[in-house]
Amino acid sequence: MMLFLRQFRAELLKMFARKRTWMGFGAFFLLELIILLKLQTSEAERFFQRDFARNTGGMEVIFGDYFRGLTMAFTVMVFTVFLLGSVFLALVGGDVVSKEVEDGTMRMTLCRPVSRFRVLLVKYLSCVVYTFILVLFIGGTALLTGMAWRGIGGLFSYVPEEKLLVLFPQAEGLARYVASLLFYTASLLTITTLAFMFSCFNAKPAAATVITLTLFLADRILSFMPQFESYRHWFMTTHMATWANIFRDPIPWDRVAGDYLYLFGLNATFLIIGLAVFSRRDFKS
Amino acid sequence: MSAAIKLDNLRKSFAGKPALHGVSFEVQRGEIFGLLGHNGAGKSTALGILLGQVYPDEGEAFVGGISVQRERPRALAKVGAIFEQPRFYDYLSGWRNLEIFTSYSAAVSNAEMNDAIEFVGLTKRIRDNVGTYSQGMRQRLGLAQALLPAPEVIFLDEPTNGLDPEGIAEMRLLIQRLHRERGLTVLFCSHLLSEVEVLCERVAILNKGSLLYTGRWHDLMPKGTRYRIEIDPWSPELFGDAVLVRPGVVEIPPGGDVAELVARFVKAGVKVRVIEPERQTLEQLYLEKVLNA
Repeated sequence: MMLFLRQFRAELLKMFARKRTWMGFGAFFLLELIILLKLQTSEAERFFQRDFARNTGGMEVIFGDYFRGLTMAFTVMVFTVFLLGSVFLALVGGDVVSKEVEDGTMRMTLCRPVSRFRVLLVKYLSCVVYTFILVLFIGGTALLTGMAWRGIGGLFSYVPEEKLLVLFPQAEGLARYVASLLFYTASLLTITTLAFMFSCFNAKPAAATVITLTLFLADRILSFMPQFESYRHWFMTTHMATWANIFRDPIPWDRVAGDYLYLFGLNATFLIIGLAVFSRRDFKS
Repeated sequence: MSAAIKLDNLRKSFAGKPALHGVSFEVQRGEIFGLLGHNGAGKSTALGILLGQVYPDEGEAFVGGISVQRERPRALAKVGAIFEQPRFYDYLSGWRNLEIFTSYSAAVSNAEMNDAIEFVGLTKRIRDNVGTYSQGMRQRLGLAQALLPAPEVIFLDEPTNGLDPEGIAEMRLLIQRLHRERGLTVLFCSHLLSEVEVLCERVAILNKGSLLYTGRWHDLMPKGTRYRIEIDPWSPELFGDAVLVRPGVVEIPPGGDVAELVARFVKAGVKVRVIEPERQTLEQLYLEKVLNA
């Protein structure tokens, strides 16, 4: 067990010592600042207010209570993480094995008396940690920058494509927001695992990342096309979007559980394929 | 007692192209054994199979009597290895790199790490990023990681690659010390046959995936004595029992006397400009063996 922890620590050390690991954090922080600056304008406030009034049936009298930090953080999470977050997760997940194979450090590791399964396991766990930390960072900084702007306030959760519109008072809104970070991590883990699988193939790191993003975007685009309406339940992004159900009242737990079971199956399949390919590969200069 | 390293009828093809054809040899405990061959001869494939990084189509490799294919972690528990150009995480220090690689073997104390670092002479730079290291320092760090934790067998694949003459001499001394002070079994692959000649007593020669020779390299020496000669005019009819082995070099069979050959030349009025014994190097013997194969 101690050895496993040492290996896990070593993987985290490698991952977080690389500059590219921090690119996602920097990009998101910048994006949050841009959104915050945009929300400062009266034009943005009027747009938000109009949307709020249209969807709450003339409750604009309480708009000021909701046009605050928590709503801004939620907006950042909904409109940015799914797409931009996936890019960084695909980058890190697609790099983690293939880059080491390309650089030759994998052969150095495989000189050691360790099974290939163990090597992959610690690498995958470090990717899980990265996914969680990235989502936590985005969620945390979005909330902090939002709070610095206008305090915490209530939560106006509005996602048109998910037909979601709910108002939450501050305490409940905050609790659901924090809980949603865990669910968001679980959803985005599918992208990490997909990229990780391709990283185990005999491919360049860039190829693993590009293939992952291509599949993700194709899945997302097709799931939105009316012609594919009857196939929506087959698309991974349909199930990944279930994290937003945490903001429904009441939470449809059956649907959430079903979606995460589907994603778990996908993740397990990707991992098994990745492991099978990696385990059968010959490593030679 | 079982051999330290044993290759048993290894066969391997890559995309239908044969890389090894039934290669077998053994390395005894405590010896420095040379594995020779041209590029593509199968050395790296054999080494890859020994480390469990390449799967053989047939045959098996053993380290310390344990099958690498069946019990890889146990077989490699006492093995260290470096490749022609050891690869590291350039953005981390030498110390961190050692910590990372050894975490995949066993718990290694700081004292053991320091011991290996001191042995290869990297103490002053071990906290610097590997990206700032010279090729020689990388090779030494490669050797340090191979020495952790305490191997009994060590595979060195072109450890002198990219080193200047001083670095080559330094690496040679380190390998000799490893053998002398720690009693390690060393499997040494190198293109620098002069190094193999100094370090190894026994060698295996691979050629196009087949084992051409295994044994003491001195046994490759011709039975007779060879001389380099320059005579004018060139008169092979006077050689008698001596055999021309290649232009300008004759071999006198055991019991023969070079003085008799010289006397024949003088008597016939042939001018003898040079006649000197030829020192047999491993390189010459290797080339003869491979070219005649």
